[in-house]
Amino acid sequence: MPQASQEQNKRRAFQLSTDWCAVLTALALAVLVRVGLIHKVPW
Amino acid sequence: MAEGTLALPQVEAARPVHRLIKLLPGIFLLAAIGYFGKFIEQSISAYAKANHLHVPNIEYVLWAILIGLAVSNTIGIPEVFRPGVATYEFWLKAGIVLLGSRFLLGDVLKLGGLSLTLVLLELAVAFSLMTLLGRWFKLKPKLSSLLAVGSAVCGVSAIIATKGAIDADDEDSSYAIAAILAIGAISLFTFPLIGHWLHLSDRGFGLWAGLAVDNTAEATAAGALYSDAAAKIAVLAKTTRNAMIGFVVLGYALYWASRGQAQAIGNKARFLWQKFPKFVLGFLLISVLATAAVFNKEQLGSLANLSRWAFLLTFAGVGLRTNIRELKAQGLRPFAVGAIGELSIALVTLVMVLLAAKAFNL
Repeated sequence: MPQASQEQNKRRAFQLSTDWCAVLTALALAVLVRVGLIHKVPW
Repeated sequence: MAEGTLALPQVEAARPVHRLIKLLPGIFLLAAIGYFGKFIEQSISAYAKANHLHVPNIEYVLWAILIGLAVSNTIGIPEVFRPGVATYEFWLKAGIVLLGSRFLLGDVLKLGGLSLTLVLLELAVAFSLMTLLGRWFKLKPKLSSLLAVGSAVCGVSAIIATKGAIDADDEDSSYAIAAILAIGAISLFTFPLIGHWLHLSDRGFGLWAGLAVDNTAEATAAGALYSDAAAKIAVLAKTTRNAMIGFVVLGYALYWASRGQAQAIGNKARFLWQKFPKFVLGFLLISVLATAAVFNKEQLGSLANLSRWAFLLTFAGVGLRTNIRELKAQGLRPFAVGAIGELSIALVTLVMVLLAAKAFNL
């Protein structure tokens, strides 16, 4: 398999896992905010 | 054999931690550039206020992107930072999921419904235009397909998904990605200027950016450059567009398979699920929780600010990943097709948004 193609396959796999990682991370943060472990996040 | 079996779990166990450590320098770089952008915006604003000067407010978004561009196009990104810099897509998606807390489900359905109607029109225009332009400029048919998908749906992710599904060449997908990235970078700076010139409302501009700017990161940044409210709508419209990716890729895969130039698709439902951007589900879930009053006002504020921090890292990444020399090296023809197509799509979607703004009082 050409190197560029391997790179793109890697990137595709990375994107799939990135989607779920992002969802789980965001949900975990939402839970932490809900239970009060994270509060008053400044901007 | 036994040695290999014993060694494997140790290697697997060490990998995630090792990987995480490799990401840290790049993530730190994203945070540093993003925060520096915010610091510059605040410093200029404080200086202007203290000295009673009228200085146009340049948003942290623009500073973060410009600093990123300056770094990647002068000194370049050292190898140690690259894995972490690539996480900007992760921050973008996490930010979008968290942004769901700022939408009540009713808003999502109302604005999402309007977005969906406009997205379907935009898809029809984009596919017809790109296919015609590809023929006129004598591009390879699969390259035209990739450019059409990239400009109609969601930029780089759509091109990569389609590339695999239609067995396109690596060279074609590199061309298409380079063209879409270059046009995305130009749109990012020009859209807010045009929006201000036309006095578009926040909702109107957000809808336009979400419909016409290709990559999700650039669409979010263009919206944020206009206003916070515009960024919110831009993300919603772009997310609606992203949700179409599976159907579009499936359509192209079936078309090329029918011509014997791509593999046949087995289970179509599975194919659609595989291509569906899962962060859209997270966005909807958080929106449902916010609608069900699971979070109080202060908690909603915290979630919104966490989303802003995630986007801050994304904007730094947008600048860092744009290498002007690499884009130039990809040649002019695909870029010309992309640029003419995008300009036409931007005009058509602008007219659509102006009509929708009148009809629905946006």
